[in-house]
Amino acid sequence: MSSTSDYPALTTAGFQVLLALASGRSHGYAVMGFVEQLSNGRVRLGPGTLYRTLARLVADELVRESEATDPSAPHDARRRYYELTPRGAQVVREEAELLARLVDAAQTAGLLNGDRRTR
Amino acid sequence: MTRQRPLGLGTHIFVPDADAAVAFYSEAFGAAELIRHRLPDGRVLFVELAVGPDKLLLSEEIAELDALAPSSLGGSPVMLLLELEDVDGTFDHAVELGATVEMPVAEMFWGERYGIVRDPFGHHWALCTRREQLAPDEVAERVPAQPTNGTWASE
Repeated sequence: MSSTSDYPALTTAGFQVLLALASGRSHGYAVMGFVEQLSNGRVRLGPGTLYRTLARLVADELVRESEATDPSAPHDARRRYYELTPRGAQVVREEAELLARLVDAAQTAGLLNGDRRTR
Repeated sequence: MTRQRPLGLGTHIFVPDADAAVAFYSEAFGAAELIRHRLPDGRVLFVELAVGPDKLLLSEEIAELDALAPSSLGGSPVMLLLELEDVDGTFDHAVELGATVEMPVAEMFWGERYGIVRDPFGHHWALCTRREQLAPDEVAERVPAQPTNGTWASE
């Protein structure tokens, strides 16, 4: 079993971007579309949030820019291409496992069954 | 009028030289530059830094707006709090990089390992471990009458 990544805490936007890249989406527009679709339109990553989130993930070496990136758009993450690093893949997997345990607990608590309406 | 619950709180500091500040905060405190914008005359309008999970905006002084750095104002009454795993290592490294010791690192009555430096641009940084180690009642029992020899450390 591999050791844990010790990455302190992913933001919601950070997790969603890693999830999009784990599913094979590679440029910013595709990441934005994936997140919006995933949340039924409730979560929209604006271009500024997308850029900041990706820049943070790159600085933390969870994501790297792929070679297909267009150097003429330094602050427009929508047009740039990204991929997970091995560490990024590990961090997103650990986060997904944690969320799965939380969802299990929510299920056990009856939050997802629709059968524990109070009052 | 309704009172809103804000969405966030950030810090925006002014420095004489953005390049020097970004280099210091990156090397000393692990900051990562996310975004930078310049005025047409070359002055750095702002740099957005990620510091751990939080953000720090910094700008070069804009005298026309009276937006000045502590070095121009003669000091700053604001302290930036930086929570760390390794307070001692970061403190010593910051001092090696040009920060000035204001309160040496020590175990403090409120349950943190804590020390204060002044960075080369005049901003005060309290470096500390996590705050939530003691219950509030435990801290209340330990509050001293006053600081001693310029510190809250008990010895």
